[in-house]
Amino acid sequence: MAFEGFPPLIADQLHYLLNHSPDSIKIENVWSGNKINPKILDRFTLVIPYCLETIKWDVIYNSEYAFDPPDFVFGPDDEDFMPCTSTITPDDDDHISSLKKALSEWDNEDSTRLLVLIQGLRDQYVAYQRRSVGQVDDDRVKFEISTVLTRKGIEMQRASGVDKPEEVKFAVPLVMDMNINKMVVGCPWKHQQKIYLQVVYPILRKFESTASAPRLRLVSSSELKALFSVEDVKLPPWMDGMCLAEYLPHLEETLERQIQEAVSAIDLRRSFIEALTIFLGRPLEANPTFCRQATFLTSSGQFTFMVHFFFSTQFPKQQPTLMLQSCQHLNQSSVPVKSNLLSEYPWSPRWEVGRMAERLCDFLTDEAVNFKKYCNEVVLQH
Amino acid sequence: MDDLSLEKIEISGSILASMIQRASSSPSDVDGLIFGQIHRIVSSNLSDDSPADSFSSSSSSDQIVATVTSFACSGKTVSFYDPLGRVNSRRVDSLRVDSPDRLIGWFSARRKTANRPSMRESAVTSSLSSQFHLPIEDSQNPKSTNMASSVFFLLTTPSTDQCIHTHEYRAYQFRSSKQRLEPRSVGVVNIGPAFRGHYGSFIPKSGFPPLVCELDSSAMVVDRDEGSLGAKKQAAKDQKEIDALAEGLQVGDLKRLVGAEAASFTGGIEDMYERMLAKIQSLASDVETSSAFVFQQEKHNRKLRNRVARIGR
Repeated sequence: MAFEGFPPLIADQLHYLLNHSPDSIKIENVWSGNKINPKILDRFTLVIPYCLETIKWDVIYNSEYAFDPPDFVFGPDDEDFMPCTSTITPDDDDHISSLKKALSEWDNEDSTRLLVLIQGLRDQYVAYQRRSVGQVDDDRVKFEISTVLTRKGIEMQRASGVDKPEEVKFAVPLVMDMNINKMVVGCPWKHQQKIYLQVVYPILRKFESTASAPRLRLVSSSELKALFSVEDVKLPPWMDGMCLAEYLPHLEETLERQIQEAVSAIDLRRSFIEALTIFLGRPLEANPTFCRQATFLTSSGQFTFMVHFFFSTQFPKQQPTLMLQSCQHLNQSSVPVKSNLLSEYPWSPRWEVGRMAERLCDFLTDEAVNFKKYCNEVVLQH
Repeated sequence: MDDLSLEKIEISGSILASMIQRASSSPSDVDGLIFGQIHRIVSSNLSDDSPADSFSSSSSSDQIVATVTSFACSGKTVSFYDPLGRVNSRRVDSLRVDSPDRLIGWFSARRKTANRPSMRESAVTSSLSSQFHLPIEDSQNPKSTNMASSVFFLLTTPSTDQCIHTHEYRAYQFRSSKQRLEPRSVGVVNIGPAFRGHYGSFIPKSGFPPLVCELDSSAMVVDRDEGSLGAKKQAAKDQKEIDALAEGLQVGDLKRLVGAEAASFTGGIEDMYERMLAKIQSLASDVETSSAFVFQQEKHNRKLRNRVARIGR
């Protein structure tokens, strides 16, 4: 990713930030503040993940005076966030001094400095939000803060707007006693996969007497979707008067179980693909780690075609989706003719793997004839 | 020093326009200091409400208004402070050289950025307001209290190229009790009949050197004040400076403009004015050539800076 238009030293720092940051930071806008040479870009907006959502900070360099560190403009709701002014509580002393050091000893030729600066500011932001949430006048929130802060890595955010009711968001990392990366054979993931629970508490307004239940949502790192989709998880219900300290262990147990099931489902899918080999021969392509996809080359008489199989994480409850692709027919755009996605065929999750494969191949034999007719029609159309 | 709240900030149209011009003509972002005064205006409260109802301090008591009368632009960012926002008072003094007014705050101009104070600007305003203060001028109460120099002016251009407006400005006051920057409304005071009432508290100052004009030939002056030796020396020096321009014309001679010698004397004075104008013209062309030289030097400096920052071209 080349940042053309940025002066080389700023581009270096930006590269380093985007490649080495532990959270996935993105750039939204880039523009120039230079009047004489508007092609030299020196300003950009960073989209930084925080509390399972994002915050946007504008980074303002000055291309005319390259020795100075950049300045930051924070979001419009964070007017009170002033990390550089000196009146901050003493227990944040280490964070402040590292941030102050990063700013006062700025070296514009060191490509790591921008990352250090952004991390320092983000840590300050976490502390600022925690103080802000601590000032909310709600007993439930105050109780939660006092009980749940023993966990590391919790982020909080206070959201209030003119039209929106006031809310407090918590992003809690779930601790499960297993290393998912190690459980998957041949796992390609570089980072540790994590699952978070986002809890949104509406703040009690004066005319409400009882607190309504918070909104709950599970969020996982995106690579985990190949193994296990958090959207399919049915969250345990939140009882009246429950608190996070009670809810979390229950949720974590459920998730542990489901992840272990998901890992064993990989083996099930693998054995199904191996069963298909008997009928269709070895696959052209198959994903060996998660077994979510496989493609076979087969023929029906003189007609040669490929079959793509797509397995969901809910296999075998949910049957695989098929797509046929002809090797002999091209459509108007010179692309091989493909069928629609087929998922309506005889299936039962209770069959054993060999029977599933046999019934599926029977279906394929019939479907191949229909597909051949369809391909001929498509070719004849032009 | 109490942490009082300003009602609004007034600025003359010409000062605001020259600030905007200075910001938009510079190649990069700039900052600078702003000078002025703070006045207490007593507002009369004519309502029938009982005093217990009025909680806000501005209903029955005074309003405090800040007036901006001049500014000094540094031509660059991070001029009188460091990147952390800590103000260096020595650099402030070198930037405000010769300004007769009091320091009331500072301004920052950035192109194409959001119209909110940035991280560094908040820190600088906080640091400036803790280090500098100025008295509140109050005609009724001679014993004035002090107030922190906490005004911050932000000049920006819109981030998107909307072409509806080209400049934006906002004023803030830093409240040390709340540790935040609060926006304040800006009143622009202009020349013209509609604004005559505003000039009551708005007293722009432009310094004029004090000149002692003595009518030497008058014998009617009694009790001439001898003054100190230093003052006399200064008066003699000033007279010499004027003599160089006016070529020995004494103030007392001006009474010859009326009466019998008027015609010839007028001609002489007109010649003198023409010579003065010629001198001013040569001065103006000197200024023009030196400005061109300064511009070339600035261009050269920019090239060097770009080379250090490794910006090609």
